[in-house]
Order: sequence, then C-alpha cells, then structure tokens
Amino acid sequence: MSKHLIKILTVLLIAYYIGISWLLKRHGFEHSSGLFYSEKLLLLFNAKENTILTLGFTFPTTVFLSALLFVPLGYLYAPVASTIIMMAGLFYMIVDEFKVSKFSSKIYIPIVFAIFALHPMAVFAAVTGRKNAVIALIAFLIFRSFYRYYKQPVTYHISMASLYIGCFIFSNFEFVWLVLAFFPFIFLVSLDGLMIAKDESPLFQYYEALNNRSQRRKLANRTAALYLVIFLLPLIAVLLFRSLNAQYAGSSTYFLDSPYASWRITGNLRLGNLIVSDSRNNFVYQTQIVIQGFILFITPLYVAALILFKGKLYELFTILSMLLYYSFLLLSYKFTLNLGYYLVFIPIALVTICYYGTEKYSIRTSSWIFGVSAVLTIIMGYYFFQHTASEEEYTFSKEMSTVYKNWQGPRLLSESQQVAQYISTIATDDRKILIDDASAYTIVVHIGNLNGMILPQEKAFVTILENPAKFVKYMLIAKRSNPTQNLTVLNEFNLKMFVVQKNLHLLLMYESENWAIYQIE
Amino acid sequence: MPISALDNMVSVGLFDANKLLEIEVIANEFNYSYIKTALNFGFLTRKKYVAFLEQEGFTMVAVREEEMDEQYINQCELHELNSILYAPLRREPDGRLLVAAADPQDEKLKTLLTIRFQMPIHFVAASDLDITWLVHIKRGEYYVKEAVFSLMRKDPEQSGLITFTDPQLIFIFGSLALFVTLLFVNFLKVAMFSNVLFSVAFFFTVLFKLYLSLNGSKAEMKELVNKAEVKALEEDTLPIYTILLPVYKEDKLIRKLIWNLRSLDYPRGKLDVKLLIEEDDDKTLNAVRNLDFPANFETIVVPFHMPKTKPKACNYGLHFCRGEYLAIYDAEDVPDSDQLKKCVVLFRKLPDEFLVLQGALNYFNKNENMLTRMFTLEYTYWFDYMLPGLMSLDIPIPLGGTSNHFKLDKLMELGGWDPFNVTEDADLGVRVFEKGYKVGILNSTTLEEANNEPFNWIRQRSRWIKGYMQTTLVHMRNPARLIRRIGWRGFLGFNFFIGGTCITFLLYPILLSFLIIYAIVKLTFVATLFPDWVLYIATFNLVAGNTMMIYVNMLSVFKRKYYELILFGALNPLYWIMHSIAAYKGLWQLIYKPFYWEKTNHGLTKVSSSGTVANAAEPAH
Repeated sequence: MSKHLIKILTVLLIAYYIGISWLLKRHGFEHSSGLFYSEKLLLLFNAKENTILTLGFTFPTTVFLSALLFVPLGYLYAPVASTIIMMAGLFYMIVDEFKVSKFSSKIYIPIVFAIFALHPMAVFAAVTGRKNAVIALIAFLIFRSFYRYYKQPVTYHISMASLYIGCFIFSNFEFVWLVLAFFPFIFLVSLDGLMIAKDESPLFQYYEALNNRSQRRKLANRTAALYLVIFLLPLIAVLLFRSLNAQYAGSSTYFLDSPYASWRITGNLRLGNLIVSDSRNNFVYQTQIVIQGFILFITPLYVAALILFKGKLYELFTILSMLLYYSFLLLSYKFTLNLGYYLVFIPIALVTICYYGTEKYSIRTSSWIFGVSAVLTIIMGYYFFQHTASEEEYTFSKEMSTVYKNWQGPRLLSESQQVAQYISTIATDDRKILIDDASAYTIVVHIGNLNGMILPQEKAFVTILENPAKFVKYMLIAKRSNPTQNLTVLNEFNLKMFVVQKNLHLLLMYESENWAIYQIE
Repeated sequence: MPISALDNMVSVGLFDANKLLEIEVIANEFNYSYIKTALNFGFLTRKKYVAFLEQEGFTMVAVREEEMDEQYINQCELHELNSILYAPLRREPDGRLLVAAADPQDEKLKTLLTIRFQMPIHFVAASDLDITWLVHIKRGEYYVKEAVFSLMRKDPEQSGLITFTDPQLIFIFGSLALFVTLLFVNFLKVAMFSNVLFSVAFFFTVLFKLYLSLNGSKAEMKELVNKAEVKALEEDTLPIYTILLPVYKEDKLIRKLIWNLRSLDYPRGKLDVKLLIEEDDDKTLNAVRNLDFPANFETIVVPFHMPKTKPKACNYGLHFCRGEYLAIYDAEDVPDSDQLKKCVVLFRKLPDEFLVLQGALNYFNKNENMLTRMFTLEYTYWFDYMLPGLMSLDIPIPLGGTSNHFKLDKLMELGGWDPFNVTEDADLGVRVFEKGYKVGILNSTTLEEANNEPFNWIRQRSRWIKGYMQTTLVHMRNPARLIRRIGWRGFLGFNFFIGGTCITFLLYPILLSFLIIYAIVKLTFVATLFPDWVLYIATFNLVAGNTMMIYVNMLSVFKRKYYELILFGALNPLYWIMHSIAAYKGLWQLIYKPFYWEKTNHGLTKVSSSGTVANAAEPAH
C-alpha cells in the first residue's frame, strides 16, 4: 500500500475531524479543557505581566506547547487544531507501522481508519483540544520504541523511549508512576540480556542470576543501567520543573495545584462529587484496582492483542505494564478517571497487534480476531460514552448522536459565549471588569482580548480586590450553581463579604445559569 | 657465491633459507635491501645480527660520532640511503671511500657505490638504526622543510602558522570594546543580556550534542562491514598498508607496540609500519635497539625543525610511505585485529569521495580510577555516538588522534597535516570536508591507555582544546567561503561542535559560580543579575544542560555494555570543571604559545592491555 494512499486517508481524517468540530461548535459544544489552553494562549500573547508563568507552568506542558504551534489559526482554535493533527498523525504512524506486520493492508487500513473515524474516544480526543490525543500519540511512540528495541536492541530505540516517557509525564503527571509499572519488564529485559541458561525456563534463569554473585552484580548493573537510560531524563526533567515552580511560583506543585496552571483543578471530577451524582457514573469500575476487568470491556482490542500475542515473557510484561500503571494510578489518584484516559489502550493494542499479532495463529484467524475486536471496541466505546460520569463526555456523546441533525438547526451559543458577548458590550478601559480566570477562563477566551479586564495575571490584582470600587466598574461573580465557584475568590459567598466589609453597592446587570455580572455603584 | 650477510647467515645455519625467500619477495616489493627487510619485518633480531657480524670479524662503528665529509653523502638520495641502509663517511688516506653499512657483506651495494664514486669502497659495519638516524639528519632537510611548510605553500589560508588574522583580531577586540562600552552605558541590562546569552548558548550546544548522539545511535542499526565481508577478502588482492606511529620518549611502550602490531590480521609483507622518532629521542631509539625479539616496524628519524609537533613528524613520514592506505596509531594502541581489513572492505564499498575512515577509540584501563572511568564515558559517547551523528548529518568530523585510515595519494594531495595545529587531526577532518571529500566512521575499535593522572590529563586536554580553538580560528577566517564550501548545515555543525565545545567549557564555571553564589551566598549584586526570569532561564539551561550531558554519557555506556560505569555518568558536571580548567589553560597557551605541544605521558597505567584485545573487537557494531 503506497504512502500516497495513507496520506490521502490522513487528509480525509483531518477534514472529517474539522467537520465534526465545526458542527459541535455550531451547536455550542466546547470542551473546557481546550478553552483553558486557548485562554492561556490569549494571556501569553496579550498580557503584559507574568507571561513566563503562563508559558513555563501551564500544564500539561506538551499539550500547551503543541497548541502554541497553531496560534496563527486563532487562540480559540489552536488547541483543537493541535489535537486534530495529533490524532491524524497517530493514524498515519500506526498505518505506516503496520507495514512491518504480515497483515494485509486491505485488513489493517480499514480497521484502523474505522477506529479513528468512529470510535467516540478517538473523535472526542481529536475535536476537544484535550490532552488525550497527545497521550495516545506518545503512548504509541513509547511502545513502538520498546518493540523496535526488542526486535533490534540498539540504544537509539531505548533513548527515544526515554524522551517519549519524558513527554508522557509532561502530558499527565501521574505517568511518573511508570517508574514502578515498568519495573517487571525492565528487570526481565536485563535478565534476558545476560544470556544465562538461555534454553531454560525464566524461573531457572532467575535462580541462576540471583544465586551467583557475578551474575547478580551484572543483573543489578544492567537493570540499573536500563532504568537510568529510560528514566533519568524524565525524572530529572520533573525535578527541574518542580524546582523552577518552587523558585518562580513559590510552590513546587504550582503546576498541579493552581487553577491558573492546570485545567484538571477545575475540570476533573472528584470522587466526592461523583458519589452524589446520578446513576450515570462509572467510578465503580475504577475500584477494580488489582485486575481491571473494566478495561477488557472498554477496549476489546487490547484483549485481542493479548490473545494474538506470541513473544517473550518480557514482551508480554511490557504490554501488561499499562494495566499495572493504572492500578498504581487508581491507588494514588484523588480524581476519577474520565473515559478519555482509556484511549491510550487503543494505540497500545494496535502497535502490539502490529508487532506480535501474526505469529500465533494463521493470518486469516488473526485478521478475524483483529477485525471483530475492533468492531467490538467501537461498540463498547459508544456504550461507555453514554454512561460516562464526565459531564462533558456525556454531552459530547449526546451531541454526536444528533450532530447531523444540528446541521440544519440554528446556531447555538454556549453559556460562556453569551456571557462573553455581554462583557464585550460593557467593559472598556475606563470601565473595567474584575474577572478571576481560575474559573472564568471559558469566558475570557471568548472575549478574545484583554481590553477592559483585570485578571489575577496582573500583579496589582490583590490590591484591586481589596478596594474594587476604586479600580473597576464591574465584577464577574460565580454563582452557587457554578461547579467551580469554590476555586475563585469572586463567588457569591465572597461577594456578600465584599458588600458587608467594603460597603460596596452592587447592581446586578446580567445573570446566566452559573454567572452574574454586577456593576459597582 | 653469497652476496649478503643474510646469505652468509644461511650458509652457517644461523638463518632459515625459507625466510630468506620470503624476505626477497618483500624486499623487491618495497625496494629495500635484504637486511632492512629482515630487521624491520620481524625476521631477525638486531642483537642476533650484531652477534653474527662480530663473529664474522666486523666491529660495530658508532657512526653518529664518526668524522664525516658531507660531499659524498650529498651525492646520494635519502630514499636510497634509507632503503639500503648505508652512509658514505669520508675518503681514507689510502684512497678508499669509507662507507658505514648495515650489511657490510652486501656485494651488490659495494659494486654500485664503486661505480658511483669511481673509487674503491671500504665498508664498516654500523647499526641500521644509527645509519637511519645519520642519513635522515644529513639528508632530511628538504623533506622536513616540506613537512613544515608544504601546506602553507600550497594552501596558506588553511595553515595555522598565523593564529589570529588581522580581521579576527579586529573582530575580537572590537567586540570586547563594544561590550565594555555597553557595560558602562547600562551595566545591568548588558550583564543580564550576556548572562542569558551565555546560558542559552551553553544549553543549545549541549542540546545539539544530545541530538547528535541520538542520530549517532541510529548507526548501531547497520553494520558497515561485517565479519563475512572481511573473511571474503583475498589476501593477494590486499594493498600495502602503511601504519604511522609517531612517538616521543615512549621507550617503555616499544615492547607493547610490537605485540599490538603482531595481533593485526594483515599479511606481514604488506604492512609498511613506520615508527617516527624525533632526532633527540635517543631513549626510544635505544629501546628499539635493545629489543630481544624481531621488530616489525621501520624506524624513521625526523630531523629537528620547529614546531616540534606530531603532525610535522607524520608529514615527514609521509615521504617514505609505500602504502595505498595509511593509518595512524599511537604507540600504546590496541586496534581490533581485523581493523585494517575492515578498512579495505569499507574503502572499496564507499564512494571515491570518502578519503578517510575514523575508527572508534576506547580504553583498556577503564576501571583503573575515577578519571579513567570518566574518560571512558566521554570517549565512548564521542566515538560511538557523536562522530556517527556528525557523519549521518553530513557535518565536518574532527578526526580523533589515532585510528585514522587515509587514502595516501589523496592525503598527499591535501598537503598532509597542519604542523602548526596541535589538534592536526581535527583540523584535517574539517579540511577534508572543505575540499569536497568525506570522512567515514568505521565499526572497529582501537583500545588506548586512558590518562589516569589529573595533571597529565589537564595537559593533554588543554592541548586538545587549544587545537580546537586553532581549528575554529583557521576555518573561520572567511566564514562566507566556509559556508560556500560546506553548506549552512556543515557551517553551523562545525561551529556548534568545535567552536561551541570550547566556548561551553569556558562558560561553564562562570555560569555555575553565578548560580551557586546566587543560591548559596545570596549576594545582592548577583541577585540583580538574576531577576526572576533570568534565573528561570539560567537554572533551566544549566540543569537541563548538565542532565543531557550526563544522559549522553550514560547512553554510551549502555551501548558498550559497561554497565558498571553508568553511575559515574552522574559525576560529569565535576569532570566538566576539569575541562574548564584545561580550556582556560588552552586559551592562555593559544595566546602565548600557540604551537607548543603539551606532551602527554603514556605508559602510566598499571593495567595490561593484553587481555583486552579480543574484547575490543566485539562491541563496536
């Protein structure tokens, strides 16, 4: 199959993603995560103060920096453009990689294309500007590097894997747990490299390696060496990043904890919130910490990869390492995982099938297993998306089911867009509005510029907050119904404090479901 | 009737007749006398030969102290004197011409000289080494001047005789003057800007090295020459291979040298090995003289001429080489046994434009102490990753000091090495590119002795860094021309890799001390140079830069399976401080003693190289 055809399909996929994102946007659907990065881009290029804070510490770094490349398309569209290109790029690389397998291109191209075009997780990752796209892409690159290393043990592949793992951690900090999750296969790779009793069982090889002083030393050295080569760069990068955060922002976890740096503070669901939500939740699946049967259902393709797999023990442990990682993650994580997190299993499954999926059974049988599992994966994707606990994922699945009908319908504006439109009509440099973008970033980005706004980005923000009447004319207040109202000082509770303590006279000018705009008299 | 000493030795049973037949073939190929062939191709020990001559009634004359009438030697050509090993001394009162000869029983030579000088000849026996010394001193002037001035004459722009050209001086002092003036105008801003500039330069130079390493590590994926190709070589088709061994006061290494040469898998009669000894280096000459076993190299004595550098010696040696290909080794080197054959295969496989191949260098005493470990880490990433990385990106490759394999005719065409450059190898690598040729990387390793003594290390390193500075200055005399010749990529690569290396070593301690002073002492003055954003950039660059260097070191260990060294990679920042000391020493010498050759003492290791020969061959794929 020529590269030409793959390129055409990639371009088609890009066009398809653009079409869907346009339709969704037309109907007022936007993902807060994408808007978060858009707002940071707006601040980066328009704010006069603290731009290093924005550039250096907006997290995940990879997502933000990749969106930065698409700024010429507009702040609002840059994150989505970036994820569309990433998903299309991932499609291209996966199809291209399949050339190393024995599968017919007539089998793998339609299957991979169908997954990328129809699976809701893939489409969601592409059109929302979320980090899922970059995570899926990097996961593919990491596992491809490992598999290439197993086929041809040269340092290049392992060092590329190290760089990708660094990017992985800077796409989602919890991937730092890979240090633990990768241990089993790194140990086994080291053992294999020692060439002890090659024809014996792995158990006998362990026995030999651990009970002979010289071999034990070699094994320890080799394992340590592999670990360092794989994890030194990522871990030092994390250390450096944390120390820069400590030096510059005053807290080594600023990038994780500040709502100005990380979307997940405002965007993710905490377990506590989830338990009180309606029956449409999937957090119970995430209690399957030891063996995650949940994943078997959400990604049958991954199960197919395990069924088709034929290789060495360390290769099997490499594939399983992501399951192990999710166990560590669920043990330590204070948030629930959105469905989007599980997208990562699709590229891992595909690259595994590509490298290890044709030796165990005949090509015909393997192709059937591959094809059926892909169809099941798509079906299960729809099923789980309709039952997701994440509000935005759920809305997305609803919107997708009516996306073609919406074509004919009227153009709808999201709440943020409506609030932003109103602010644009009242705020000027003489009559400024006080906004806290910890929660109101979706509104700021729709305003499109910083004229007439006072944001926490400005060093004088705290002073202004102390005496708003002197500096601003309006205040944007998060109402009690706003899920992010606890993250901002400009909420209804504090408003009452302002009124009492600072003797403010306020006039309600505008109100939506989650926001209110007051004029200071 | 016997016509030479060797015939006589055969007739009295002191020498094997079959060996004589072998000698005859080699002597005809090289146009050498039989005795020179026997003494230099491992057939006969000097001691045994002297004993035979004394038994035959000859007294060995100390020819270097003999009175000499130079009109006779001036009628002889140096190549002939050196090949046949004789030296006309003076006319004796009885009318005979007194000639010192390594083989005083050589009837053919006697006839030749009788006809040439039209007078009877009286041979006296003399050591072949003394004759070699004498003839090179008396008749080598032309060649040594060629060795020194040939490049300057052919291509003055490429010669390092002038360290700084006038435009370069104007640029350097102009920049300094501008910098100082700007400091007076706005000290804070200029200091901050410089701080950021230096730190960014440091970071990008290291980033470039990481990029090169990753590119270079791809080279592992394909084996340039495999064992089957080497095995398939037919020995009859092998060309003569010259090996140059420039030494100075390396008397302790001569025995090792012979064993190392013997381990080379190449037909004896096709190896043209030249040991290049300086005129005043009696130590090494006597070490050769006192060997208990046959030497497998020819000694060439380089007449005195400034600058007293290795490239000058090599240039001199070039005039006496017979090979199609030429390799340079140091005396202590242990090359992979099949290295020469691999070179032949690779030269035949590569396009004609490849003029030189660089083998990987590594150390046999890597675990001797901390310094040798660090040195091993450095050399491993340099030769296993950096140089292949440069090759893959088509960027000029600075050749390493040894294990360079050249096409001899092309090397002569280029004018040989620059005798005024103390890293003549690096300079030649760049010149090769400038002239439109290419450098290839050979998948074969030569083990050397790692410097195990800090002061000796700094001496050696200061020379290398000074040489890099010289090389940068020479090739940057006309940047526009350099860009035209090697393209933008080559130009940037050259400046990042060669010029940038020197600059990073010079900047490193400054940046490090600024940051340490800021972080520990908290001096207000330094704090003003490090406002928040500068601190962000500086910290990032320094930590990221150091980490990348540590990482690159660790990668190389991984390839060579030197796992026990991996943690020492973390000491790289300290090792860099030593580099910086050497860099400042090199800079000082560049200004005051640009051509001074800091001699590195070899033979300090207590580790034997003998056990490592086999191991060397394995890892470099």
